[in-house]
Amino acid sequence: MVREVSESCVDSLLTEMVACYCNRFYANKPELAARRIEAIGYQVGHQLSERYTMERPRFTDHLEAIKFICKDFWSELFKKQIDNLKTNHRGTFVLQDNKFRWLARMSVDPSIDNASSVEDNSAPTPENKAAQAMSMHLYFPCGIIRGALSNLGIPCAVSADISNLPACSFVVRIKA
Amino acid sequence: MANFLAQFQTIKNTSDRLVISVEDVSDVWPTVKPAFEARLPFKRATLNNKTRNPVLVEALPAEFILTTDARLRSRFPHEQFLFWFREPYATIVLVTCEDLDEFKTILKPRLKLIVQNDEREWFVVFVSKAHPANDQASKMAKKVYAKLEVEFNTKKRERCCKYDMHFPEANFWEDLESKVMECIRNTLDRRVQFYEDEIRKLSEQRLMPVWNFCNFFILKESLAFMFEMAHLHEDALREYDELELCYLETVNVTGKQRDFGGADHGDDQAALVNPGNKALTQIVQEDSFREFEFRQYLFACQSKLLFKLNRPIEAASRGYSFIISFSKSLALHERILPFCMREVWVTTACLALIEATTSNYKDGLVAPDMEKEFFRLLGDLYSLARVKFMRLAYLIGYGADIERSPVNSASLSLLPWPKPAVWPTVPADASTEVLEKEKLILQTTSRTKSFGIQRKPLPLEPTVLLREANRRRASLSAGNMSEMFDSRQGPMEGSGFDTPTRMSPPPKALASSSISRTNSSPGNFEGSIDRPMRLAEIFIAAEHALKKTISNPELWKSLSSSEEFEQKYLDLTRGAADNYHRSWWKRHGVVLDGEIAAVDFKHGHFDQAAKSYEKVCALYAGEGWQDLLAEVLPNLAECQKILNDQAGYLLSCVRLLSLDEGLFLTKERQAFQSEVVRLAHSEMKDPVPLDVSSLITFSGNPGPPLALCDKDPGILSVTVWSGFPDDITLDSISLTLNATYNTDEGVKALKSSTAIVLHPGRNTITLDLPPQKPGSYVLGVLTGQIGQLRFRSHSFSKVGPADSDDFMSYEKPAKPILKVFKPRALVDLDAAVSSALLINEDQWVGILVRPVNYSLKAAVLHIDTGPGLEIKESHVIEMESSAGVSENDGDQVQNDGAEIRTLNSDKNFERLILRDGKIEFPNWASDIPSILWVLVHAISDTLSRGSSSATTRRESIVDGMRTIALKLEFGAFHNQIFERTLAVHFTYPFYVRTRVTDKCNDGTLLLQVILHSEVKATLTIYDAWLDLQDGFVHTGQTEGRPNSSFFPLIISPSSKAGILFSICLDKANVEETREKPESILNIKYGISGERTIGAHPPVMNRSTGVDGARQELIFRSAITLQRPVLDPCLAVGFLPLPSDCLRVGQLIKMQWRVERLKDLDEAGVSKQNDEVLYEVKANSGNWMIAGRKRGYASLSPQQGARIIISVLCMPLVAGYVRPPLLGLPDVDEANISCKPAGPHLVCVLPPPLSSSFCIPVNP
Amino acid sequence: MIVCVAVVGHQNNPLYIQSFTEADDALKLHHIVHCSLDVVDERVNNPKKSGPMLNETFLGLLYPIENYKVYGYLTNTKVKFILVTTDLDVKDADVRNFFRRFHAAYVDAVSNPFHVPGKKITSRTFAERVSTIVKSFGFSSAG
Repeated sequence: MVREVSESCVDSLLTEMVACYCNRFYANKPELAARRIEAIGYQVGHQLSERYTMERPRFTDHLEAIKFICKDFWSELFKKQIDNLKTNHRGTFVLQDNKFRWLARMSVDPSIDNASSVEDNSAPTPENKAAQAMSMHLYFPCGIIRGALSNLGIPCAVSADISNLPACSFVVRIKA
Repeated sequence: MANFLAQFQTIKNTSDRLVISVEDVSDVWPTVKPAFEARLPFKRATLNNKTRNPVLVEALPAEFILTTDARLRSRFPHEQFLFWFREPYATIVLVTCEDLDEFKTILKPRLKLIVQNDEREWFVVFVSKAHPANDQASKMAKKVYAKLEVEFNTKKRERCCKYDMHFPEANFWEDLESKVMECIRNTLDRRVQFYEDEIRKLSEQRLMPVWNFCNFFILKESLAFMFEMAHLHEDALREYDELELCYLETVNVTGKQRDFGGADHGDDQAALVNPGNKALTQIVQEDSFREFEFRQYLFACQSKLLFKLNRPIEAASRGYSFIISFSKSLALHERILPFCMREVWVTTACLALIEATTSNYKDGLVAPDMEKEFFRLLGDLYSLARVKFMRLAYLIGYGADIERSPVNSASLSLLPWPKPAVWPTVPADASTEVLEKEKLILQTTSRTKSFGIQRKPLPLEPTVLLREANRRRASLSAGNMSEMFDSRQGPMEGSGFDTPTRMSPPPKALASSSISRTNSSPGNFEGSIDRPMRLAEIFIAAEHALKKTISNPELWKSLSSSEEFEQKYLDLTRGAADNYHRSWWKRHGVVLDGEIAAVDFKHGHFDQAAKSYEKVCALYAGEGWQDLLAEVLPNLAECQKILNDQAGYLLSCVRLLSLDEGLFLTKERQAFQSEVVRLAHSEMKDPVPLDVSSLITFSGNPGPPLALCDKDPGILSVTVWSGFPDDITLDSISLTLNATYNTDEGVKALKSSTAIVLHPGRNTITLDLPPQKPGSYVLGVLTGQIGQLRFRSHSFSKVGPADSDDFMSYEKPAKPILKVFKPRALVDLDAAVSSALLINEDQWVGILVRPVNYSLKAAVLHIDTGPGLEIKESHVIEMESSAGVSENDGDQVQNDGAEIRTLNSDKNFERLILRDGKIEFPNWASDIPSILWVLVHAISDTLSRGSSSATTRRESIVDGMRTIALKLEFGAFHNQIFERTLAVHFTYPFYVRTRVTDKCNDGTLLLQVILHSEVKATLTIYDAWLDLQDGFVHTGQTEGRPNSSFFPLIISPSSKAGILFSICLDKANVEETREKPESILNIKYGISGERTIGAHPPVMNRSTGVDGARQELIFRSAITLQRPVLDPCLAVGFLPLPSDCLRVGQLIKMQWRVERLKDLDEAGVSKQNDEVLYEVKANSGNWMIAGRKRGYASLSPQQGARIIISVLCMPLVAGYVRPPLLGLPDVDEANISCKPAGPHLVCVLPPPLSSSFCIPVNP
Repeated sequence: MIVCVAVVGHQNNPLYIQSFTEADDALKLHHIVHCSLDVVDERVNNPKKSGPMLNETFLGLLYPIENYKVYGYLTNTKVKFILVTTDLDVKDADVRNFFRRFHAAYVDAVSNPFHVPGKKITSRTFAERVSTIVKSFGFSSAG
């Protein structure tokens, strides 16, 4: 029943998707591209959460759901758990993955630079070009998390932070 | 032991309080009795419950009975332990005595005798009758009491207390009560212990065959009752529960076939709350308890206790589950029970339970959620009763009055028919009733739904009643009967209320059959087995059977007529609904409201019905249960229609239309629509705006948005989806556009006042769009008018590939439908020719029209010529697509050559006519760049002037310029305007210079005429002649022509040619006045040029048919010749410089020598005196002139007179520079001969080496 | 026999209702399913009543009605499965098993990228799977 797909496929699919949306469909509208990528992630997360929460009791509170994301959900996706979970107990959670798989193999090569520098005409330094490329690739996982949580009845906003690569931390803000 | 039961129950019913026996030793009881009994019941007694834990009893009822009383005497000891609960729990020994001797001798032995029987719990109350005044007596009493204490108190328990008749001590009563309590407690404990032991013994041998439940029951019951008497209700309840448990497991082991019971009259009324409904003797026979009665009895006891415990909620919940389970066991024994016993019982049980619990329930005592739970239970009970009641009513033919709603169908059609041993038959005398019933059946017509909705009504029967009943009857008779009966049943299949339309027999047949039965002998009725019963008969039979079953007159009354039935039905439904509303189960409540609404509707209380229906619809619509909504909404609409609530009615119709197509037939949906349209066109009191978002949705066309340039109107086409089943005409429609960037920008509404017909499904409507501000726009809201009805829709239809990729509409930004670009150049007009054209000739001027990504469809070009230029109106204007670079895609110029080639290959060409300065563009020119060739004629009346070599060229480029003002109107509505003024340069073909090249000594002058070609075209000179001015004549016979071997002379573009004329001065008439001041050079030439480049052969008008074969033009130019001075009168010589080395910044003296070569005669110079004006001309950049530049120098008129003019000047730059020149302005140049002739250069050295100067050392 | 199975979305909107009665009286089953949501809400809203099986996806018997039984199942994503059956002696184990398989089928159905969450489930394969699960109801553990 369980069918799996090779990681490299997923990686290249992700990069290809990002490239398509950034360079082809919404070449000059980065925010729109981001939104679309995030939306795709949302749908994926939505459906995955449906599958991965089978056979388990319902969550009583938000923390349980977040923990589920950190442990089971993440290990279903990336064969590892979130390394560090922080929260101010007012609806903000920070999920840190010390070696985020989808960024692990990513090197900033010029093509991606162009891809990212399409967005901003103010010629950016290579660093934030790279950051841009990265962030484009991070909308998808953010969408996945948001989709999963909102399907579990937790509307939230998810953003990603890649200040120290390859560690990547996702910030979940639950909408009260 | 069963024979004790009757006695047991009587005793149980009589004795309800604890007994305290009074041993009145010395007859004081009557005197103290009132005081004692005033203490009853005991307040705040503490007893031990079954688990020996102290329990506080608020008020413990008790009774003092003398041991001499008959009630205590007349008892057989052997039955004692059975009814032990009624034995005294304490014994008070009342004594009084004033004399020690008497005490010792009489009283003490007696007391000893009394108390030796240790069965009882006893204590002594010493009553002192001594009056306190009589202190001697009281002293004596004290003595005796002390003795008494010594005698009877033990160290672990003191059994004496002293009661002073006149002044009882304050603490006496507490003392008394505590002692009594102690006794009771001990007794109770002992007895409980005893009963438990007995019960244990019995229950150990429970599985043996000899075991008798009766004994067990009595023991248990006694124990329970004892607890109850002691107000230990909890424990009593527990006992009953255990008893029930034990009963159920013993009764369900299928040992001997035991009687179920419930056969007696009145058993149909449930006895859930009165235990004393039946005597136990009736319940038990040969020591087996009838399940029917006994279980009810047990539950009654339990409920009684629960009510005493003030736990009505628990009673209700237990009761509900009891009813359910009991109804099951009723079903098991249905064959031996009267017809429909089960249904009747359940109904009565529910009602009884509801009555009891509600009466025992006090509001606000329990937690709110418990309260909700309670109301939910009540609701359940009500609805259970309701269902059973409906079933009964259906069986006797009130089915027509039962709404065929989902809820009723769900409860009835899933409920199996009763399965009596034999289905009731029609009694002999019931034929008239049967007739009545059949008439009734025939009259009942299924309520036609509004809008003519045809629906197969929902079933209220698990299986077809007619068939069921007949099969049951048939199963009694011969085995094969059922089959043949089935075959006969075929055509009558499905008759009954489910299909009221095909009611079984036609009236005539009915009449005949009924007649045949009316005069048929009763004996015929055995045959009624093999003749299947008809529906009416079934109803009547059931009715009669029920009449036998139902003992409760009130219940029977409510089944007696359909009105009564309806009343009861309403009560039950209301009860259920109200209670559900007060519980968690809102949906149940609302749905039942719908049922009530149906009845209201039937009785014409439409406003109430509408209210309830609205609630139901809101419920279903809110959660999107369209199927259910489709069932109710028509009724609501009907109500609103009748109530003339037009707004609501319209809304309902629209909602009906916007339900799934599958839910209604097209016919029905068309009916809805026609209603909407009818209302829309009827005048409404208050025309409300109607929201049809669910019906009419709209979206932009898939694909890129409509792109417009600034100030461009356009035509916006929008896809509109209509959910209406038919075409619908929208009298007007208006669509708002919202600017995405600047939201503060108000919305623009596009109106189309023309009626639009929407077909079902997809439509494309077009709206014309006035010019919009730059920006991008999304669709806003669609409003419009159908008749008087204003509708609005603000829902975009999610169609087209654009939306399919993400499903979250709230995520998705609305797709812009219109983009208006910022202002930009849309077209470019330019002169197609770069180089000059021929002046004074008909020339083509090309106007290059280049659209910049913008169509020039039907563009109009206004051409207006400036001064000195005219357009040949007569002549056509040629237009051709400009080959070469296709500017159409301006961003990449010179893209792949293929396109160019194609452009060349289909090179359009067209002749146009210029009408009052306007030209219409042909279609082919709308998108590709094209050139307009306009025939113009530049006029200049001035003759071209040649110039001599000495003088420089006078005329400037400007006077060859002509302007053409162009105004292009284009765009869909000629709203775009592009204006430009082109400057075209015209010129003569040649520019002429002359110089005298040589002077022969015979006076012949060689005049060289240099022709500069001014045009980018090849000029061919066929002939040239010179009309000389006065003072000159041609030499030789050439009539002013050079020798013709020159011609034709070809001058390639922008090159020069020279022609030599030999002329000489005319000696003859020198003095006469000259009338030909200048000589004219005539050149006959031809031009071969390409108009795209520039000058080209002028266009001949058709009159002279010679088309460019050899087209000869005349060019005339004026030249002024001056008489050459043959012998100059002055000679100017430039004297060598004093030092040969001129250095920068070094003053030197320039010297000229002016010498008069001949005498100054009046002819040469006029009367001026002997002075010459001189002027030094020097390049101020090179030289600094120190002295005066201009001045007069005296020169004597004699030949040979000479002067030296010297000027101080300083060179400023190093290198070869032109020295200053001396000019003599007064003297004609021709009279001056210069030596050395012409200008020359002098060498200026760099300044000498010094601190202030440094020069680069160059090798 | 199983009369009806239903999937109800987290806004109590019907996503899938299939009735297995021969007569076209599906509407009454709609009604039963819809009303059973009352019980689900009650269970969810005050959890202490559903004592031990707190937060378990299987809600157990919702209705002790005498002539049919309604079982409920509430997923983590607030999607409800309702089962209406008319046979009165049903083993809980069977129902649990049924719901487990049903849930699997549902997850596969909604994982279809072309399925729009929150909309009705129209997949035919899902319907087929459901009917097979329904057919095999009871045999799985009994047999």
